[in-house]
Amino acid sequence: MSGQDDNSKPDRSGWVQLARYSQLAFVFPAATVAGWLIGAALDRWLHTTWLYLAGLILGIIAGFVELIRAALSSARK
Amino acid sequence: MPEQLWFTEILNHLFAGPVTGLLRTFHIDPKYPQAPITNAVAMEFLVFLFLVTLFFLVRARLSVDKPGGLQHVFEGVHGFVEGQSHEIIGHHSERFTPFLVTLTFFILICNLIGLIPGFESPTAVPVVPLGCAVCAFVYYQTQGFRHHGIAYLKHFMGPMWWLAIIMVPIEIISHLARMLSLTVRLYANMFAGDMVTMVFFSLVPIGVPIIFLGLHIGVSLLQTYIFVLLTMVYLSGAVAEEH
Repeated sequence: MSGQDDNSKPDRSGWVQLARYSQLAFVFPAATVAGWLIGAALDRWLHTTWLYLAGLILGIIAGFVELIRAALSSARK
Repeated sequence: MPEQLWFTEILNHLFAGPVTGLLRTFHIDPKYPQAPITNAVAMEFLVFLFLVTLFFLVRARLSVDKPGGLQHVFEGVHGFVEGQSHEIIGHHSERFTPFLVTLTFFILICNLIGLIPGFESPTAVPVVPLGCAVCAFVYYQTQGFRHHGIAYLKHFMGPMWWLAIIMVPIEIISHLARMLSLTVRLYANMFAGDMVTMVFFSLVPIGVPIIFLGLHIGVSLLQTYIFVLLTMVYLSGAVAEEH
């Protein structure tokens, strides 16, 4: 969704590209950590012991989705 | 007691009682009740005071015929941010300019204040970049809802309805990851910049630190630019029509 929209407009500046690509290094670990944190918080709240793992896996998938979106958008250009 | 900068000491001397009382109202017990205001909060407050004073000065001296130096600087920054946001967001990007310019000035001054002896960069403490990232996150989500109404929620559901059950958690995580990546990028760069400058200052106190101070200025400018530019990118995604 928004990831695709983020990259749907043509880049006119190298600086814009620099900022976008600098994001790539952070997006995968950030998504993984965010997923794990959400899962761990849900575990504490719901007194379960497995949601951190589900959150971690979803975070890794979310990171890959963002990376693939960025790669596809740059390939289109 | 933690190590306090002179400005933090003044603030704690004046406001420690009311601040501790306020925190206890929200069931937060400060670690040091005599000094509940940290250096980062004090520096943020100083930056806030500085910017408000600066804005008042510029407002009082606005002139179409004879613009002063300060007005030129502010017009330059405003024009630059407006141009970038128009390039990334497209039409009707002007309504986002005030927020983006304020964010630019706040982060830039927070980054640069650490270069002055006796002060620290508040952005080298994780909570301050997190606060800026939360502001950016709340702002672009709010603008998304203002622009699309409740239909904005469709953006989280993926291209096909039957994918929604898996896409909603993935989209929520990826939006939260944006906030985390904005925070970590700014914090890590400013913290590393401060550390490198301090290490070289302790090793070779004359000459060499100037190079790293120059590097710190460059990193401060670049990180401000990247933070604001990514906020624009997220805004453009939130208000884009072609979903």
